[in-house]
Amino acid sequence: MGHGHHIEVKQEQFVFSPKAKRFSMILMVLGLIFAGLGIANLGGHEESHSAKTEVAAHEGAHHGEGHAAAAAHEEHGNVPNEAFGPRMEFHPLDKPVNTRIWANLMIVGYFFLMISLVALMWYAIQYIANAGWSVGIKRIPEAIMTFIPVPFVVLLIALFMGKNDIYHWAHYEHLGLKPSDAGYDPILVGKSGFLNSTMLFVFPSVLVVIWYVLMRKLRSLSAAEDNATKGDVTFFRKSVRFSAAFAVIFGFTISVIAWLLIMSVDAHWYSTIFGFYNFVTHWVTMITIMAFFVAYIKKEGYLGFVTNEHMHDLGKFMFAFTVFWAYLWLSQYLLIWYAQIPEEMAYYQIRFENYKFNFLLNFAMCFCIPFLGLLMRSAKRNRYVLAIIGSIMILGHYHDVWLMVFPGVFGSGMQFGFMELGFFLLFAGIFTYWVFTALTKRGLVAVNHPYLEESAHHDVGV
Amino acid sequence: MGILDKKLSLRDRNKMLIGVWEDEDQLMAGASEIAHAGVHIHDVYTPYPVHGLDRIIGARRSKLARIAFFCAVTGLTLMTTMIWYMYVHDWPMNIGNKPVRFTPSWAPVMFEGTVLCTAFGMSFFFFWRNRLVHGIKNELLDIRQTDDRMVMVIETTDGMDEKAVFNMMKNHGAVELREFHNGVQTVL
Repeated sequence: MGHGHHIEVKQEQFVFSPKAKRFSMILMVLGLIFAGLGIANLGGHEESHSAKTEVAAHEGAHHGEGHAAAAAHEEHGNVPNEAFGPRMEFHPLDKPVNTRIWANLMIVGYFFLMISLVALMWYAIQYIANAGWSVGIKRIPEAIMTFIPVPFVVLLIALFMGKNDIYHWAHYEHLGLKPSDAGYDPILVGKSGFLNSTMLFVFPSVLVVIWYVLMRKLRSLSAAEDNATKGDVTFFRKSVRFSAAFAVIFGFTISVIAWLLIMSVDAHWYSTIFGFYNFVTHWVTMITIMAFFVAYIKKEGYLGFVTNEHMHDLGKFMFAFTVFWAYLWLSQYLLIWYAQIPEEMAYYQIRFENYKFNFLLNFAMCFCIPFLGLLMRSAKRNRYVLAIIGSIMILGHYHDVWLMVFPGVFGSGMQFGFMELGFFLLFAGIFTYWVFTALTKRGLVAVNHPYLEESAHHDVGV
Repeated sequence: MGILDKKLSLRDRNKMLIGVWEDEDQLMAGASEIAHAGVHIHDVYTPYPVHGLDRIIGARRSKLARIAFFCAVTGLTLMTTMIWYMYVHDWPMNIGNKPVRFTPSWAPVMFEGTVLCTAFGMSFFFFWRNRLVHGIKNELLDIRQTDDRMVMVIETTDGMDEKAVFNMMKNHGAVELREFHNGVQTVL
């Protein structure tokens, strides 16, 4: 706690301890087991359906209806719903079995890609805002952001293998219908300039390359600063400039990525707030993950000058963006609820009717529990409370992404089951392993950063 | 102004020992030594926040957060009751054929009401607690304490060695030493 006196800050070298290695291995193995269980459970098409009805008896009724509706849809076209007017077509119930694997890989890839990108954004914002308090922990986002290529490759594989089953616009693209044909969809045709297979691969690839180059640049500037003399601010100034460039590019492109990859799962539906909502979901998760890493690294005895004050600020970030997440969540829902325009409601209709439990659980895990749990100052300064609430938040936000994708891809009757949990744990393990390895690559303290002293003296007061 | 918190007023107290500083590092060092010597520091008035000083002088945590919470709960209750009375009980309206009870459209009203009550409540309590109510005369010990000087105030107790306290102040760079008693300041 800053007492106005000089605090000695020395360079430290992080060692990836066997304990941490074991932890990430356990995560990976657990993930593999769960994912394997999930995949083994898939079986054939019919079996999977009957298995699902056994697991969730209450869902069974819905499922049968869904099947009937899908069948009716094939025969008669759109099925009108008396209460809500024409129902959007939730087709897909008859997807190949392995679609679930590709969809899982896609959300896990997207989730961790966004986590690493948002870490880069966080890092950039610290430079742009001239933030001093966070210098002590700046190596953690710096390590997280190196993860960008891994989830992106996974995402590309998932898209390559499963795009026609995940995105019904991609499926539609293959049909090659003419305006005179039955089932011609002018909305999808109108969007085909943006939603097409070339765009799906080229656009994210180009952006990831740009982001990646900027990430390497910022990291190399940070490394060059470590080797420079103390008091040399040229690297800091350069970092500010590159951070600003990245922030502008990222700010404009991240929404488009969310539209292209996630929102287009319900290709008829659109929401202008969707990109931002996605950003915040991952932003708050990334800050939670960062808090976990800081707490662990401190517990191992590193970063003595990073105190409870820094943890408190991370807790405040978690709390603040939890509220902000809820604000966007409600904003998106409220306007659609009020306007009651059928094509806008499709997104919420299936989620509220067929996934009511998940829908409410999502709100509870991402808002109610963290809001009440982190409201008090003492909670934000207690790392056990942060660990429990943070774990709920991370799972909750992953479940949030799941809820954005799965009902749109599969229609009704899906569960957040072993496979989803398995893939998440598997990638959490890989992510942890990667980040710890990246942390060992350079000193844990940015010794020549001009604001290091300020960070060491950071104090939020009594 | 009977409703104002008397605790912050410097009147009706024992004799006060006052040190004036120009430099916050020296002030911190001085405050640290005085506090370690077991002398209770009543308060330090600074023109800007000096980080770490609150811990040295043993300032208690502000109760503003608790007040904010109670204001928020009040606002939430008030707005929920209001919208229920107006929209459900007294004059239900059919707007777009939506249900009237506890719908998402209540959320913005409840939220804004909570924020409004919290913001106003906190402002009022903050000003009230800090004796910044309109019409009250300020009690600056030194006109420069809002500009470039830092003023440390120590209330004397029965067995206090005043000379030692003044010496500690002086050793740590206090530029002026004073006494304050019954509204009269004496420069030493």
